[in-house]
Amino acid sequence: MTYFPEEVVEHIFDFLGSHRDRNAVSTVCKAWYHVERFSRRNVFVGNCYAIRPERVMARFPGMKSLSVKGKPHFADYNLVPYDWGGFALPWINAAVRRCPGLEDLRLKRMVVTDDDLDLLARSFPNFRSLVLVSCEGFSTDGLAAIATYCRGLRELDLQENEVEDHGRQWLSCFHESCTSLVSLNFACLKGEVNAGVLERLVARCPNLRSLKLNRAVSVESLNEIVARAPYLVDLGTGSFAVDHHTDAYQRLMNSFSKCKSLSSLSGFWEASPHCLDAVYPVCINLTVLNMSYAPAIQADDLIKLISLCFKLQKLWVLDCIGDKGLAVVASTCKELQELRVFPSDIYGAGATSVTEEGLVAISSGCPKLNSLLYFCYQMTNAALITVAKNCPHFTRFRLCILDPWKPDPVTNQPLDEGFGAIVRSCKNLRRLSLSGLLTDQVFLYIGLYAKCLEMLSIAFAGDSDKGMVYILKGCKNLRKLEIRDCPFGDFALLNDVAKYETMRSLWMSSCDVTLGGCKALAAKMPRLNVEIINESEGSDKLEENISDLHKAEKMYVYRTVAGPRNDAPDFVWTL
Amino acid sequence: MGDQSNSPSSSIDSSSHPALCSPSSIFQTRRDLLSTDLKLGLGLSTSALHGCSSKEREQLSHWPPIKPLLRSTLEEKVHRSHSKTFFVKVYMEGLPIGRKLDLFSHNGYDSLMRTLRRMFRTTITCPDTSRVPPEKAHVLTYEDEEGDWMMVGDVPWEFFLRTVKRLKITRADKC
Repeated sequence: MTYFPEEVVEHIFDFLGSHRDRNAVSTVCKAWYHVERFSRRNVFVGNCYAIRPERVMARFPGMKSLSVKGKPHFADYNLVPYDWGGFALPWINAAVRRCPGLEDLRLKRMVVTDDDLDLLARSFPNFRSLVLVSCEGFSTDGLAAIATYCRGLRELDLQENEVEDHGRQWLSCFHESCTSLVSLNFACLKGEVNAGVLERLVARCPNLRSLKLNRAVSVESLNEIVARAPYLVDLGTGSFAVDHHTDAYQRLMNSFSKCKSLSSLSGFWEASPHCLDAVYPVCINLTVLNMSYAPAIQADDLIKLISLCFKLQKLWVLDCIGDKGLAVVASTCKELQELRVFPSDIYGAGATSVTEEGLVAISSGCPKLNSLLYFCYQMTNAALITVAKNCPHFTRFRLCILDPWKPDPVTNQPLDEGFGAIVRSCKNLRRLSLSGLLTDQVFLYIGLYAKCLEMLSIAFAGDSDKGMVYILKGCKNLRKLEIRDCPFGDFALLNDVAKYETMRSLWMSSCDVTLGGCKALAAKMPRLNVEIINESEGSDKLEENISDLHKAEKMYVYRTVAGPRNDAPDFVWTL
Repeated sequence: MGDQSNSPSSSIDSSSHPALCSPSSIFQTRRDLLSTDLKLGLGLSTSALHGCSSKEREQLSHWPPIKPLLRSTLEEKVHRSHSKTFFVKVYMEGLPIGRKLDLFSHNGYDSLMRTLRRMFRTTITCPDTSRVPPEKAHVLTYEDEEGDWMMVGDVPWEFFLRTVKRLKITRADKC
């Protein structure tokens, strides 16, 4: 390939879409490394502490689009303390110095402050797209800075962030001349916005295709918006609190019937049963429907809605849909690829919920299903075996049985055979989450069959160290392993320490690993950061007299070329 | 968690399941605590958690694995309907003795009207759709959280449940 001029090689590399492919070609030879690094436009950093930002920017001077992830995944479930880390500032600073042509920034599970957003807004004249997912540390003041200074902003997408509300004026900061918005998502904001400002913003952005309103946006406002943006493709409805006896409701129904392009709906925060009728006209075009924030909508109304959605590809619902509702999904939504069923009653007995029957119905009715997240109160081996047979194409299979250690209620057996069938049948499985009563046997199966597995989440499972050893030995492509409340200890942790350099990260909490075990791991593997999160009162330093036999409550291990991080708070000990 | 005590899941005898024959004692304690916790719902009762460290208590409450936005949406729904009943006083104009009515046992205004008509043996109408002459008709009003008396039926049912304090059936010609 060195016979080709660099422009030709670069052009060939243009066809490589994924980061992994580009990473792979850059290791072939020096020439390819150089061509690749100057031509890479999209840079993805899976762990912000794995490499220093300056090094990334130095290697890819042509970077236009940066995506960085911070905290470990279990931070989503409050297992990581608030000020653990994952700060955006070093990355923004480095980009300001080295890559002023930055256009897109995507941050996930990171701490972003208002000052960071202000710096970002003022520093990149070509900035087009900001996506913040599960971030925290900023307020609407930071959003005001983005709105004010990012002329030409095309996308502001805020997903599931913790945003402090400092008032409604941030939206007014979008200049009158700002007409470039394509996507605006502020569904996670708690505060109000000025309805008139919002409506005018929507009216002057002819390219707006995705708009997700927050709960505070009233139906009257929604009406105005939908009337002015009939080309919307993706809509988050805001509160949707409307009495179906009113004129407002009639107007809403008329507006929706004019939205010929609408294919994705979400929101419905305050929706009550009868008002869903307004949405019926768009159902036949829907490919994405997210009703997971509408606990007032019960099975019968969901069924009426879904039975019109023949083209649905992605469905997120609460478990009040019931097995009956899932049967309707199975018979109607033949194009379904992704299903998520969330629990609606996390305190109760699950009187209205789904069981293994619903899942079996879906598996037999929806041949294209490849991604599942399913919360339920019970599951049987027989059902899982049937699902495995019906759906060999799963790439993501996450089952959460809400009672830990719950066995198959019919046979009283662990669910090893059921999950074993899943991994045996689904040869392309990349992500798996386990639950229910599970012995070491299930890990034997996973190690044996789940050769494509990249991410595994385990909770309240296994009998002994053997379980974890099976996983580490068998899953050649494992990148992320997260474990909580399992009886895995130092033997499993230290069994194959080199393995962790082939992975992005390992999380273990409430397991049996000890401080001594973690120290041993850190000593053997200098290119891993072994962090212990210690939250007990009065222990801010790694005391000499804390015994090595003391259990490590929370341990996070990740490969890095950046060395131990210098921004760790007192309760995080890097060994 | 309702009938948890009767289901097979929570009462596995450690001797009947081989995998449970030799768990670590800490692990067994955690299991018992967790299943007790789930039985009591996530309102952690101090007596059930006696002897449980604050760390363990915190650990037990990071379950199920759902994101904060969904969790707060569901918790709000629970707070709203935390009691399974919501009794409000109902007076009819001219009658000194009132009644009590459980609003949670109704799923909307229609159902509420039917019950009230039965209770007070009178026609209660929505004033705009009324065909009965105003002197004879009664309308339903309610006192909201700000102390104002409002016509029932203008806001969505869920909203109404959040703000209503008591009900009064008044003569239509007073409205």
